[in-house]
Amino acid sequence: MDELITRKQFAAAIFVSLLSPLLRLLPQTAVELAGRGAWLSVVPAALPLIALGAILSSFRTHMRPGEGLGGLFLRWLGPVFGRIVLVLYAAWFLFYGGFILRSGADRLAATIYPGSGPTAFIVVTVALCLLVALGDLRAAARTAVLMRAVLVGALAAVLALSIPNMDAGRLLPIGWRDAGSIALGALPLASVGAVAGGFAFLSGYVRPAKNPRWLALSMLTLLVLGGAICAAVVSVFGPALTHTLTYPFFIMIRSISLGDLAPRIEALVIAAWVGADFLLCTFLLRCAHEALRPVFSLPAPEGLSMFSPRHGRFLLWLEAAALLTCSLALDMPPWQLRAWSDKLVPLISDIMLYGGYVLLWLVTIPRRRQERSLQRRE
Amino acid sequence: MRRFTPLLYVLPLALLLSGCGASLASDRHDVERLMLIQTMGIDRLDDRLHVSVSTGLGPEDDPALVMTASAYGIEDAIARLQNYSPENQLFYAHIQYLLLGEQAARQDLSRVIEWVDRSPTVRTDTPLVIVRGTAKDAVTGASEQATDITQRLASLDRQARSIGWSVHTLREAAAAISEGDGALCLAVETAPMDQTIFTDDMRSDAIIPLGYAVLGPEGLADFLTPEASFGAELLTGDPTGLLITVDGCAMEVLEGSAKLEGAYGPDGAPTGVSVRCALRVGVLEKDGDPTPEELDGSLSRTVARWMTDALETARATRCDFLGLKKALLTTDHALARWGNDWNELFPTLPVDIKVDGIVDRSYDLPE
Repeated sequence: MDELITRKQFAAAIFVSLLSPLLRLLPQTAVELAGRGAWLSVVPAALPLIALGAILSSFRTHMRPGEGLGGLFLRWLGPVFGRIVLVLYAAWFLFYGGFILRSGADRLAATIYPGSGPTAFIVVTVALCLLVALGDLRAAARTAVLMRAVLVGALAAVLALSIPNMDAGRLLPIGWRDAGSIALGALPLASVGAVAGGFAFLSGYVRPAKNPRWLALSMLTLLVLGGAICAAVVSVFGPALTHTLTYPFFIMIRSISLGDLAPRIEALVIAAWVGADFLLCTFLLRCAHEALRPVFSLPAPEGLSMFSPRHGRFLLWLEAAALLTCSLALDMPPWQLRAWSDKLVPLISDIMLYGGYVLLWLVTIPRRRQERSLQRRE
Repeated sequence: MRRFTPLLYVLPLALLLSGCGASLASDRHDVERLMLIQTMGIDRLDDRLHVSVSTGLGPEDDPALVMTASAYGIEDAIARLQNYSPENQLFYAHIQYLLLGEQAARQDLSRVIEWVDRSPTVRTDTPLVIVRGTAKDAVTGASEQATDITQRLASLDRQARSIGWSVHTLREAAAAISEGDGALCLAVETAPMDQTIFTDDMRSDAIIPLGYAVLGPEGLADFLTPEASFGAELLTGDPTGLLITVDGCAMEVLEGSAKLEGAYGPDGAPTGVSVRCALRVGVLEKDGDPTPEELDGSLSRTVARWMTDALETARATRCDFLGLKKALLTTDHALARWGNDWNELFPTLPVDIKVDGIVDRSYDLPE
């Protein structure tokens, strides 16, 4: 594993991947909880993310070279319990990837492809995800760097072009009595940010760095963007209408035009978001693989040709099949998908990524102390 | 061979280049068969929703295609319209004006807003116009060989904006209504052309601006008189350019601003509103020989009356389209304490309106 992803590329991969769930939950869910103050929810949302970052950073110091979170789990939790936990995480990654594909298909159907079925989108995306996951992970990371420029550029343009429609009066007044609801509004953002914790399973492929400033900067940018999206949409539609609309951010884009040059640009922006879905699912597929690899004691899949079955790479095909099955099985009406998206999926995500990591951090305190004292003696 | 392997993976994708099949995108359309709808009118007549559409003039001034169909829902009516245009696909992504008939505006406003939200094509910033009478009459009656409803509305839109009227969009109305406030919206009516134009065989209808319609959470609440509409515009928008007539004198607003201030009791409850309006106008045409002082006085009194009319309509309809709630309840404490009681508080709140009108001396007015 000589060729590693740089921290900068890893940060780009996380950033782009999180843009997909970010616009699924924001601003609607945040507005539902925090009302007009949703845009301020980014401040309390930073706290759990900092805590998660600190825990992951603590895990990182105990990882051996080339070891991901999967290897660490197995080492700390033992061969039986460790394997059970890793299978659970792999199942979660595949389920979450399937859900992302299903909700991405629903978003496309609701915004630019009315009446279209989700199957074509899901099958094509899974096929592409598998192709990329079978290849070199660095290629996906480099794609993320390019996608980041495209998506941030699109977001910045959308926000700038929406300024004439904004009414800052809709964001105020906000006072101390709103503090509770604003704190609650941080939940969706914190849930989105937690997905970055899942990427820790890929940390064996990432070049170690003493200063994780790129990751911190990525998360900070994501939070600022989340706040800006909430502020823009609420100032355009008001909190009540924002809560009622199906995809308020994309409906806001529908009203943007570049004069006579391009009367409508929403199809371009919405289509660009497919890139975020694709990258998130690709990385989730690899996260699932990295969770299962220690379970079956498989070597790293890098350095082989794309379709080589060696080193247990057939497992990636099975994982992709599971992702596809899961996505196709989540055949539900849009209102139910929304309920899952707002409540059930973030809840499971929080349990797995905040709850699971904190629990692991707590139960392994003696183990970590022991390792630290051994290191000191050496 | 290895160099060409990736090509083998990519080549099958070329099969998709011929276009999307119906299974991939059921909403696909060939561009040359699209018929762009430019104006849509919605009415409620006999318990059914009537949707009337106009395509706008064709590329070589071909007459507009005007159609109307009725059903129990908007989508249903749209589907019926499509039945009458089998050769072309009616395409609603470029609607420039949305007209609502009086009855539909009263009963179906929230339904229309919901339909636009769910429609992947219609823009929320489409100008919304309320028609006194039916939108069907406006859409079908305003079209003839050389012009159509879209052209007439575009002309009205330009004219309205140039003389200081606001043309509100569906989004603006929906946002204000969803916050529990009221919204203003341009109101029009149809009038036969042949009563005004005699030089040609003009059998179509003209679209005449009436002022503003007041929209509340339940739908259309009332129409403001043209004078009260001026008052509302002075209170809510930028009145520069407005043409007004005071005591037979035609005037143009050169500059104007209105400031709302609240008076509060010891418990923080709003006890009154004072409106201070400064207005500078230029006289375009006068009736008789009024002195500047007389004109200043009558301007101030008349404009204050128009503002009061607008305010009284807001009170009577309980639609806060003037934004008094936002102007008075500026702190989160006040909003939390009095926001929910606003509908009870608003109609009884004393309002003091003072207008300081100054007539810029026109060349023929005595100094």
